[in-house]
Amino acid sequence: MPTYLYLSLIPEALIGSMLPPDEFGLYFAVGSAKRSSGQALFFSVDPHQLPDKAFPLGHLAERCVPHPDGSPKNSIYVSIYRTLESVPISALTAMHLATDDGRVLTIKPQTFVPDEEVRSHLYQEFCPVTPRVVSRLDPQEFVTFITRPDQPVSVPRIVFAELTLGELKNDPDSSRIDNLPYPNIGHLRDCLRELNAGAGKPTKTVMRQMHQQMLFRTVRNGFFVGDQEGIVAFPMPSSEALEREHFAWWRSAQMSFGH
Amino acid sequence: MINLWFWLVPVASVMALGAAYFFFRQMMKESEGTPEMARIALHVRHGALAYLKQQYKVVGTVFLCLTVLFSFLAYVLHIQNPVVPFAFLTGGIFSGLAGFIGMRTATYASARTANAARDSLNHGLRVAFRSGAVMGLVVVGLGLFDVAAWFLILTRFYPVESSLDDPLQNLVASHNLVIITTTMLTFGMGAAVQSLFARVGGGIFTKAADVGADLVGKIEAGIPEDDARNPATIADNVGDNVGDVAGMGADLYESYVGVILASAALGAAAYFGKGADVQLRAVLAPMVIGALGTLLSIIGVFLVRTREGASSKELLGALARGVNGAAVMIAVTSFGVLWAMGVPNKFGIWLALIVGLLTGIIIGRAAEHYTSQAFGPTQRIAEQSKTGPATVIIGGIGEGMMSVAIPVLAVATGISLAFYFAAGYHFDIDHIGLGLYGIGMAAVGMLSTLGITLATDAYGPIADNAGGNAEMAGLPPEVRRRTDALDALGNTTAATGKGFAIGSAALTGIALLASYVEEVKIAIGRILEKGSDFAFPDHTVLHPIASDVATLQNYNLMEMVTHFQVVLVNPKVIVGMFVGAMLAFVFSGLTMKAVGRAAGLMVDEVRRQFATMPGIMAGTQDPDYARCVSISTKAAQREMMLPAMLAIAAPVGIGLIFGVPGVLGLLAGGAVAGFSLSMFMANSGGAWDNAKKYIEEGHLGGKGSDAHKAAVIGDTVGDPFKDTAGPSLNILVKLMSMEAIVVAGVAVAVHLL
Repeated sequence: MPTYLYLSLIPEALIGSMLPPDEFGLYFAVGSAKRSSGQALFFSVDPHQLPDKAFPLGHLAERCVPHPDGSPKNSIYVSIYRTLESVPISALTAMHLATDDGRVLTIKPQTFVPDEEVRSHLYQEFCPVTPRVVSRLDPQEFVTFITRPDQPVSVPRIVFAELTLGELKNDPDSSRIDNLPYPNIGHLRDCLRELNAGAGKPTKTVMRQMHQQMLFRTVRNGFFVGDQEGIVAFPMPSSEALEREHFAWWRSAQMSFGH
Repeated sequence: MINLWFWLVPVASVMALGAAYFFFRQMMKESEGTPEMARIALHVRHGALAYLKQQYKVVGTVFLCLTVLFSFLAYVLHIQNPVVPFAFLTGGIFSGLAGFIGMRTATYASARTANAARDSLNHGLRVAFRSGAVMGLVVVGLGLFDVAAWFLILTRFYPVESSLDDPLQNLVASHNLVIITTTMLTFGMGAAVQSLFARVGGGIFTKAADVGADLVGKIEAGIPEDDARNPATIADNVGDNVGDVAGMGADLYESYVGVILASAALGAAAYFGKGADVQLRAVLAPMVIGALGTLLSIIGVFLVRTREGASSKELLGALARGVNGAAVMIAVTSFGVLWAMGVPNKFGIWLALIVGLLTGIIIGRAAEHYTSQAFGPTQRIAEQSKTGPATVIIGGIGEGMMSVAIPVLAVATGISLAFYFAAGYHFDIDHIGLGLYGIGMAAVGMLSTLGITLATDAYGPIADNAGGNAEMAGLPPEVRRRTDALDALGNTTAATGKGFAIGSAALTGIALLASYVEEVKIAIGRILEKGSDFAFPDHTVLHPIASDVATLQNYNLMEMVTHFQVVLVNPKVIVGMFVGAMLAFVFSGLTMKAVGRAAGLMVDEVRRQFATMPGIMAGTQDPDYARCVSISTKAAQREMMLPAMLAIAAPVGIGLIFGVPGVLGLLAGGAVAGFSLSMFMANSGGAWDNAKKYIEEGHLGGKGSDAHKAAVIGDTVGDPFKDTAGPSLNILVKLMSMEAIVVAGVAVAVHLL
């Protein structure tokens, strides 16, 4: 059985497993006896692209072996804490989004292409920190801004998703926000108004951290991984494509409650 | 010779059953689709059958005991009509048969509907609707058959031939018509007992499975609705069939025959002394109108069709074309029939029929207004979800309570107008017999096109199951969109159908009060025949002599209730009313608690299966669906006994203690509280359900939001409201009335106070 290497975002960890992505996502979401449930976000990692000695992979082959009954090893934690910063973006070969009940959607990396629309953005950061922010910056600019080492507050590398703002993207006072599931919309409006009014700060924190699960239906464009070297996008299929080609996942994804 | 119009009743019965068989064969010719679709349908079919087998065992035992009891009362104590044990049995058997055939059809139809939806929306609609029509037509067909058969049998024993030249023969025929119609009422009790078990048991089953499936599957495990990995999902689908199809079929069979028989009995009483021929026409009128409505319902079924890609409004329009078409046709043709039959005060009676039809439509529309997400009340409940589940529940209860106003006022207005028209444009107690007959005829008008209105009701669970089948079988999104459209339509028609069922129960309840008094009169006559005196509570004494027997026969309704001191200041009446109102609440409480307990067992089982069968979530191992079905079945059978026994025991108990005034108080209190409570629960539950759907459509944050979570909790609370306790209350009201009629002899002969 081959050994797979995954970079989990919640919690941040590098994990070896004998399970392929779909099965690992199921295991990660619901456990081995359905005593837990919760969505999971993780990347497939190409071990050959990891820097030498960044992780103790030498022991992985010895530890990641089938159980005595022949069943595959579910997980071996290789590293926790500050793991993302040691995994080069080029090593992330696919991103997997597991729903509460273990359905897995795999999305592939693409070169980031900025769209031309001028608007406010809402970003949910996943790793290494988890605030939700509004920003005037597009994803590439945001990555550059947030990972600048000369800033008093920065991270070496970041994974985040852009979330839809609906009509609020251009008008914080718009009343057409019926399908936005975010809590405390009034605060979100205030943040956007402040962002639009001030020429100073390019970002404004809306929530200090994720309290609940994210709703996949709110993802706009997709997920992004970036640092000072560049940015890679993992675009989310359109809702029409999800309904048509990934119906089981899409249906499960809409069962979650969260923010 | 029986009036020629009577023969329309068996003819309509045969035609309804023939059309039902035709639609059934048509449906069976359709393919069940892929092997997976057929496999899922088979699971549901087996589960539903297993449930009904178990239910029939329990109900069979109850029927056996009651038949023995009635036989003892009739043949040993001679205080009851000797036909009662047989009539009771046939009513029960036919009611069960109607539910059984409807449910079998539905379980065959779901996969076929899903498969037809792969072809086109119109094809799916046709298969689902015509399968629903099987139950609608079987219910009215068997109902008319039962009515016609008993009428024919009883006229052999109690001749109704009259002669202009022979006053004595006329009098005997008149008296016989009263005996025949009140005797026929007793088979309504068999139907009522059967429908009580079917509704309560089915209601507990379906909501235990539904709530159990939702609580663990959706909330804990995040599994979508109708996902094959949820062990309770087949039980949930089985529940739709045993509760919403078999339960509803048995329920409305009882309503249908109850309405016809009560009106016939009121007709016999109202026109007593006006000549047996006139009386016979009044007795036959409700049967003939029912037969006419049945024939028109068959035509209405053929009017239902739509185009591919139809919007939900067009789909609703397609169903409305059938239902409204039949209603308009009955409104027009019934006048001609009443005129041709020579029914006295034909225009007034026709107006009473129209009042009934309109009352049904108003109640249905009110139910739609209060439960559809297109209108304010449901949207207001959805708004409340922004502040959490507590306000959703408060809002739902508040709107549900408000929703009682229109139906109650509609029924009150309907009763008043029907009374006024049928009483020859009078609104006073001097014409009470005729007025009550008009109320009965209004209920007949409301249910005259039951063949097609019930088809729209039964269509709902078929479309729901078709959606489940499509989901579990992994059919393409466009097919699921079609089955979803069909399902959404079913939710709207269900609210309207419940309105008709509840409204007709209210009118029937009033009509049965009068029939009860007629039965009491017959029971007193039986005491006099045995050579004993009978003393009324007002100390009027009748002796076993011909003149007193004649006096008794000539007592009208007002004289009877006067002798029995049925006035509000009589403590026996007040006690009965309080107990009747209390019973409606206790009965609801028992069924609600039963759902809670049964759902708890289901939750435990689903959790156990997830924990011990790890392959379920991976889709590599089938859940043990049968065990979940079995748990729900056993829980439903166990839990339905107490509320059922309470409903059966109450009229006897009150009758034995407080006699006739107490029983009348009980029936009045039960009917008033039961009708209001039933409306409140059905509408609250429907509104909570659709408030959730309103949010899911993308309002107030949409799916996954905090508002959605609060609305899901409201919907779960509302499940037993709208599908267990609410609909069961109709039957409580009708069963107590029917039973009071059947055991009237006991209350007359033996009472403590």
